[in-house]
Amino acid sequence: MNMEHYPILAIISLFLGAFLVALFGRLNKVLRNLIVAAAVTIPLCLMIALIAPVMIGGQVIGYWMGNWAPVGPWAIGIGLEVDALSLFFGLVVTIAVFVSGLYSFTYMNRDDSLENYYTLFLMLSGSLLGLVLTGDLFNIFVMIEIMTMTAVALTAFRVDYEGALEGALKYMVVGSIGSTSVLVGIAMLYSQLHTLNMAQIAAALPDHQNLVTVGAFAFLFLGFSTKAFLFPFHPLAADAHAVAPASISLMISGVITKCGVYGIIRLAYILYQNINEPAVSILITGFGAVSCFICVTMAFNQHDFKRLLAFHSISQVGYVITAVGLGTALGLSAGLYHAMNHTLFKGLLFLCAGAVQYATGSLDLGRLGGLAKKMPKTCALFLIGAASISGLPPFNGFFSKWMIYQASFEKGLDTGNFFYIVVCVVCLLSSVLTLASFVKVAQSVFFGQLQPQFENTKEVPLTMRIPMWILAVLCILTGVLPWEVLQKLVGPAAAAALNAAGYIQGMLGSGAAAGAGAQAAFSMEIGFWGPVSWLCLLLIVSCAVCLVAVLGTAEQKSPEERHEMDRRAGRTAAFTRDGFADAGRILKPAEKEGHYRNPVLSGTTLTFTGEKDPKYENFFSGEESEYSQVGGGDLFWGFKTNWRHYFQGMRRWHSGVINDYTRYGIVALAFVLLYACLFL
Amino acid sequence: MQILIQLFHILVFPGLLFDVAMGVLLMGLNNKLVARMQNRVGPPILQPWYDFLKCCGKETIIPARAKRAVFLGSPYLGFVLLISVSMFIPFAGFIPVTMGSDLVVILYLLTFVSVCEILGAASSGSPFAGVGLSREMVAMISYELPFVLVILTVARAVGADQPSGAVFSLEGILAYQEMNGPLLFSPAAIPAAIAMLFVIPCETGMHPFDIAEAETEICEGMLAEYSGTPLAMYRLTHMVKVYTMSSLFVAMFLGNRFTGIVPVDILIGILLCIAVMFISAALPHAVCARLKVEQVFHFYWTVVTGFALAGLLLVWAGV
Repeated sequence: MNMEHYPILAIISLFLGAFLVALFGRLNKVLRNLIVAAAVTIPLCLMIALIAPVMIGGQVIGYWMGNWAPVGPWAIGIGLEVDALSLFFGLVVTIAVFVSGLYSFTYMNRDDSLENYYTLFLMLSGSLLGLVLTGDLFNIFVMIEIMTMTAVALTAFRVDYEGALEGALKYMVVGSIGSTSVLVGIAMLYSQLHTLNMAQIAAALPDHQNLVTVGAFAFLFLGFSTKAFLFPFHPLAADAHAVAPASISLMISGVITKCGVYGIIRLAYILYQNINEPAVSILITGFGAVSCFICVTMAFNQHDFKRLLAFHSISQVGYVITAVGLGTALGLSAGLYHAMNHTLFKGLLFLCAGAVQYATGSLDLGRLGGLAKKMPKTCALFLIGAASISGLPPFNGFFSKWMIYQASFEKGLDTGNFFYIVVCVVCLLSSVLTLASFVKVAQSVFFGQLQPQFENTKEVPLTMRIPMWILAVLCILTGVLPWEVLQKLVGPAAAAALNAAGYIQGMLGSGAAAGAGAQAAFSMEIGFWGPVSWLCLLLIVSCAVCLVAVLGTAEQKSPEERHEMDRRAGRTAAFTRDGFADAGRILKPAEKEGHYRNPVLSGTTLTFTGEKDPKYENFFSGEESEYSQVGGGDLFWGFKTNWRHYFQGMRRWHSGVINDYTRYGIVALAFVLLYACLFL
Repeated sequence: MQILIQLFHILVFPGLLFDVAMGVLLMGLNNKLVARMQNRVGPPILQPWYDFLKCCGKETIIPARAKRAVFLGSPYLGFVLLISVSMFIPFAGFIPVTMGSDLVVILYLLTFVSVCEILGAASSGSPFAGVGLSREMVAMISYELPFVLVILTVARAVGADQPSGAVFSLEGILAYQEMNGPLLFSPAAIPAAIAMLFVIPCETGMHPFDIAEAETEICEGMLAEYSGTPLAMYRLTHMVKVYTMSSLFVAMFLGNRFTGIVPVDILIGILLCIAVMFISAALPHAVCARLKVEQVFHFYWTVVTGFALAGLLLVWAGV
């Protein structure tokens, strides 16, 4: 079969799967699952098959639906155009869809009317894939509409879940600001250029810059940033992510936000090619940095596992947008790399949250605790995800964040603009704040004290852990082999985004390759990082330390022997193993009153269950549980008290009222329009 | 032969063994100096080493609700990571591994070391450890901002005449200092150096900033449940961290090759590390009482960040 049919087949298989599930899903559970499995696997295989020609061969695959080839320079029909950038996002989408589909089989098995779930899920996946592969601007709008509506329906899929309908309603109303603004932008462009084909628009736009096209840029930018849930749309994401099923949270945070990112890249790099104008760069980077910082501080206050993750995903998308806005080859590569990494690690974390919810039925950070003993495998997976998102070397988050710092610092030095230095510092600071809030999650979900009601918690089944392991292995691989990933996947995608002429050529010209195997040219001479050699070094040192430890402990007497010696010497056994084990057990709050009872603990419990201290109260962060263990609710009050005025402001900002959120959206739209008209 | 030399560099000098020896020496001297300043006799200089050995001889008790693997593994992982960080920092012209050393990588690896300690504490399940780790995290947020600013300042100050505009590599920084004299002597770098001197005690959890370990308030916090060899590993990590941070300061601001004669350079390097330790750790230890959690945060985000920011602005303006 010819290569150029692959993209459309990938999209068709998802949509066809949706219709088949709707038709036959009710009949037989196995048949339904088979259809879903086939529908999510085929696109992944097709996308992987396209890596060789598109990423390495540098081909641009154009496909005209119904063979409506362009007449002269005029493209009438709908075309698909797959360059390396589209394929990169296509891969991200299909991997996430595949993993999410696999995970759903077990995770959703306690819900009913699953044929609706899978129909919507496949529709959502198909629209996402269609969005990144299409070459037609209006088609993008259609896909955004399908995406938003199915995502809204899936958010409210567990209607009985508290806040599900409310979250979905907010998503729909505020999300429609974004969709409308995309539509208005497209209409304005169409009125000026009389075409909807992106390649043709890209070819014509540089000669047709006027106030209307600038306005269209503002509308489209705001529309795509709504889809990426950037500031000021972030409260929306938190309300929607937290109530959706975990497999859908993965899709919303991992992929839908990426479609917003994709839209912004296409808009600024290919259509308008104006990313190198300082005003555009500052606008995009500024939005990114503000989202990055505000969302990470908001995450500090959350009591709900998934709400916390939702804020973090906007924070990470903020990183991506910041990097994309820099406009340099290094910045764009960093942004694309981080976009991919974010899908991997945030997907993993959402699936972990789903596993915790599946096993315990709760996502309350104040109530959970000590699950590491009950769910050790999920705990290990969570730690991998948390290390990745916090940017600990050698996991993947580190490499992409490191590229982002370098890119922003370098941009600051090149342009002499102190703004980019501030952005760099904000990014570095957000990283440690991210780490802090994942320490909070680790402490209050997996470590700390196990509550009595979770005593019977069981590890989730293997069918749920396999999808998580896929993501975890990918997290490690992309972290340990960053230069290879950069060369094979990210580099070509960045080069394609920087090569607008190639995109136009690919669709309207001969369709053949422009610049085979192109790499985005940038130098990384200001920094060094070799994960593999570092790991070797670590291995050598570990071996040495282990050797010393083994030799050192060999001469020691075992505790039993020492115990025996103590006993023979007639010494008291108060400080032997038994004595301490007793002391350890006393710390359990559930234990009966005894004369060992530790008064300090009861003191702490009182403090944390007693009346609230308004100074440290968590305001705008969802339900607070009655009992909060030490380290659960208020882990970072040293930080929070110093920032109480900021958090007071944030509390007022996140009112939860849909009117307010709509107003922020409209104010943001007005701001972007004004900015665009003044400075572009 | 090449491999053997490499192994010698990694394991003996200036790697593992040397790090441990320097850590013990610095910590012992710190105790002694503080004692002398407080008009006490003080312990012998090798006391930290004796403590370490004694701890190793004690049995290891694992609390009933601890997660065993994490509880026992994280002290070792933290120590090994820290040793690997110290390999990135050239000492007296010696670079244990020739893979390049990037200041941002060092920053992140140091964070990872603290994270290991936090993970171990979290896995012990003790409420004291819970309070301790939250304080450690706040301390980390506190010093990270000035630390980042200092790194950017140094990178810019050194790389101003380079084509890339910034040098994050320690080798590059050292080469620059060899050409132009220590960075500390250029006026723009002085505020950054002062900020860095404040970062060291908080990063290593030395006395006025040891909110995470406050024995009198929260029973040693993160270490509350530890005993035996893992505790000894934590203590050792702590000592080596003091050395790593001092030698990082020396490498960043004072340079590495002073005379070109290797033994003399090593001696000067050691003396400079002791001097940095004295100024940044021993003096505040002897003078100040322990700060409160929010005071630490406030101090670092206003005073120390102020110094660091002033340094960055001076360098930016090209002073």
